[in-house]
Amino acid sequence: MRAGDPPAPDRRAVRRGVLGRLERERVFKWIPFVPVQTLFVALLLPNFLLLVYLSLLSWRITRGAWWNAPFTGLDAFMVAIGDERFLWALARTFLFAAAAVPLELGLGFGLALLCRSPFRGRRVYSTILLLPMMIVPAVVGYDLSMLLIDQGPFNQILSVLAGRAITVRWLSDYTAAPLAVIGADVWQWTSLTFLIFLSGFAGLPQDPIRAARVMGATRWQVFRYVELPLLKPVIAIAVVLRSMEALKIFDYPMLLTQGGPGNATETVAVYLWRVGWEFARVSHAAAMSLILLVAVAVYVFIAIRVLRRERRRLAAEGIA
Amino acid sequence: MKTRGAFALSRHAVLTCWTLVTLFPIYWMLMTSFKHSGEWVTWPPRWLPHAPTLENYRAVLAPGTSTFELGRQTLKVLKPLWDSLLVAGVSSLVAVALGSALAYSWARFGTGGPRYPYNLLTIRMVPPIVIAVPFVVYYVTLRLLDTYAGLILVYVATSLPYVIWMMLAFIDDVPIELERAARVMGASRFRVVGTIVLPLVASGLVVTFLFVFILNWSELLLAMTLTNTEVSTIPITLNKFQSANEGRAYGPQAAIGTIATLPVVVLGFAIQKHLVRGFSFGLLRK
Amino acid sequence: MSGVRLEKLSKTFGATRAVREVDLVIPDGEFTVFVGPSGCGKTTTLNLIAGLETPTSGDIYIGADRVTDWEPRDRNLGMVFQSLALFPHMSVFDNIGFPLRLRRLPAAEIAARVAAVARTVRIDHLLDKRPATLSGGEAQRVALARTIIVQPAVFLMDEPLSSLDAKLRVEMRTELKRLHASLRATFVYVTHDQAEAMTMADRIVVMHGGVVQQVGPPLVLYNDPVNRFVAGFFGVPAMNFLEGELADGRFMAAPISVPVGLRRAVGSATLGVRPEHVRVTSGDEGWPATVNLVEPLGDETLVFLDHGGPASLIAKMHADEPIAAGDRRRFTFNPDKLLCFDGGTGERIRP
Repeated sequence: MRAGDPPAPDRRAVRRGVLGRLERERVFKWIPFVPVQTLFVALLLPNFLLLVYLSLLSWRITRGAWWNAPFTGLDAFMVAIGDERFLWALARTFLFAAAAVPLELGLGFGLALLCRSPFRGRRVYSTILLLPMMIVPAVVGYDLSMLLIDQGPFNQILSVLAGRAITVRWLSDYTAAPLAVIGADVWQWTSLTFLIFLSGFAGLPQDPIRAARVMGATRWQVFRYVELPLLKPVIAIAVVLRSMEALKIFDYPMLLTQGGPGNATETVAVYLWRVGWEFARVSHAAAMSLILLVAVAVYVFIAIRVLRRERRRLAAEGIA
Repeated sequence: MKTRGAFALSRHAVLTCWTLVTLFPIYWMLMTSFKHSGEWVTWPPRWLPHAPTLENYRAVLAPGTSTFELGRQTLKVLKPLWDSLLVAGVSSLVAVALGSALAYSWARFGTGGPRYPYNLLTIRMVPPIVIAVPFVVYYVTLRLLDTYAGLILVYVATSLPYVIWMMLAFIDDVPIELERAARVMGASRFRVVGTIVLPLVASGLVVTFLFVFILNWSELLLAMTLTNTEVSTIPITLNKFQSANEGRAYGPQAAIGTIATLPVVVLGFAIQKHLVRGFSFGLLRK
Repeated sequence: MSGVRLEKLSKTFGATRAVREVDLVIPDGEFTVFVGPSGCGKTTTLNLIAGLETPTSGDIYIGADRVTDWEPRDRNLGMVFQSLALFPHMSVFDNIGFPLRLRRLPAAEIAARVAAVARTVRIDHLLDKRPATLSGGEAQRVALARTIIVQPAVFLMDEPLSSLDAKLRVEMRTELKRLHASLRATFVYVTHDQAEAMTMADRIVVMHGGVVQQVGPPLVLYNDPVNRFVAGFFGVPAMNFLEGELADGRFMAAPISVPVGLRRAVGSATLGVRPEHVRVTSGDEGWPATVNLVEPLGDETLVFLDHGGPASLIAKMHADEPIAAGDRRRFTFNPDKLLCFDGGTGERIRP
């Protein structure tokens, strides 16, 4: 074995062509970027522009093509802002989210807390508790629509527990229906927050906890001063993820009550669906969509700032 | 020591409670799928089918289209099953392929800028109803409405943010020195990706695919808006005829529900542990 | 002929200038060690030679070829990384044979060459194992085998021994030197450990802040450093430094005053004197000091002297001479081994 033995025939001469050119870093790094960005630009950009344009028209599908529809400027927005039903739908959506998400977070956290240390039967419990999030939401909607009928098994259980006949009209009562929708969301997504928190607990570094216990901290103090702060990023993820999705609720109200009774469960997604597809008032739907987008954008902006801040904090602490 | 016992007892009590709450709807749907039509809606409700039957399954799996005639719903699931499989499968494959490549490019070269993954998240945060409205118009103009390609394209676009975030976590696990060593040893950049990176992120690819598949399989809103008769996924089928006041076919629906859910549950369990790594946005420690 | 030549090589990352206008010739067949503190640019320079980074300006020559624009795989190099970078999903055999597979050599030839190389580094019994199951030393040798097998003209090594325990490190040092002798290839070795540099190098390149400070054989750098940084970098314990004034050919930092033979130099200066050249006297000769701390090393003893200045002076004594903390003793310097550095720039003041 000697140094200076000639290497394999001059490879530079052998390999040329498309692949050779493609692999220079300058080109290589753009290879996946181009198709993805093209997809986004081709699909999402025109849509957004179209959305803005449609909102400035006065168009009903029944009255011909959209490029012929009269341009009415901000009329649709004025109608939208004045549309009480829309504002109620918005309020209702935020309300549902505000009711469901804390419940899911609390329940998931509590359940994860109970399951964090090994004990007999833990695997059985966690396996079962993780089921709901994997079920198709539309199936959940259908399923509950069956369970919650007036003469349904749910009411029967309630009757047994209460000791007297209970017939809550879950699907047709103005106050009960929203509870049903919130219940569906909580039922399905507690299992997700459970998973997130379970992993959070599993990932806690043991040394700070041990140090605190040696220093004399009680279980509660360890939890409050050491574990909870360390769980902040996990909680941030759970909050952002769930609230993001909760604002979009569509499947449950659609399948359970179709937005009814009246508008009791009409979330903004359901209402916009109706305006666009049942009433065919596309321009109004477009205008309202834009307003919704603004509302969500503010929220998204905050959420992303939170995520990035947590990530930077973790990097600074040298853990992540 | 007594507190330990009391604690363990109450822990079991609470967990059992919630487990029952969790299992109840699933159990009911399963049972209903095996019930005769006469037993679907009874008072008091039947907890076990009197004479379990496969007729619901047979009915939905028979060829034909779902109809609502003479106050009775007939639901068929073969075509929706196929449509869902095709749409979710293809869109997830494409999304994983493109998204993983892009995640690699961002991780190694920073393509798209330091904020790119966060920007992608905003796509995911927009309520689909917002884009649904113009999308219909757009697709009608492009003649993509009610086509497989149309729905697949949309699903690819909406899945990409998740794919990129999840694959970023897995790619970060591959030490860059492995790639450098291979390059010095004579591997081209393409070779490096294929022979070194790919095998090491293989499990990540599978997990990401399954996750996105489940997402797309379950999607309802965009499917409803962008399809009509040609394409009809399972969630749409379930939603059909929901507003009917009578003649609801609970049994067949339960059968469809079970058929739709079983594969997803199985897949979901397979990828459970990795799920959280995936959507931790880099915040969870390993 | 495969030396390496760097011509005005620079690399900037954003606002940081990691490598600044480096001009260097690494002669063919030499064992050259790049040494310096973290962030000094030595690893970046290595990566530039390898082609893993592209220079901001300047050129790199390997042998007669101007390789500045060449891809790493065309440069005919062997590289060992700090983390060894063994492919975890391949067996040892596949790891070593990988570069040959890339060149599409026939399977039989690959098997033969892998076996030969494995025998040379004594790992032929490990060929079927996975990297995760190997010990530190075994993994090291697999990494080496992987680079030897292509018979490169230049070997690049980025702190390959830093993950090993002390005893193994010493063994591997000898192993690498032996390899160098038998292969007669050019070795470019990067480390932050000055002891490694001293023991292994034919020539050392000291870097600091992206700039080459001094190049030369180990003993030259040890005895004739070109500035204060290089002087303080080599030697354990480090050289003693005293701040003071130069005038009339004498260095003065009360109560110390020594002739240094630099008649023309005047102004603030730093005196450098190594611990082995500080003599603790037994009589009245020299300046007074109190012994702060005594560290017996077995073959010699380190003595920390408090002489009234801001820092302790470290002296080396024979192990059998009696001395204890608290003793009042006197010390002198070996007059031939004194180095003077400019008080401001740190440059060596030569006669």
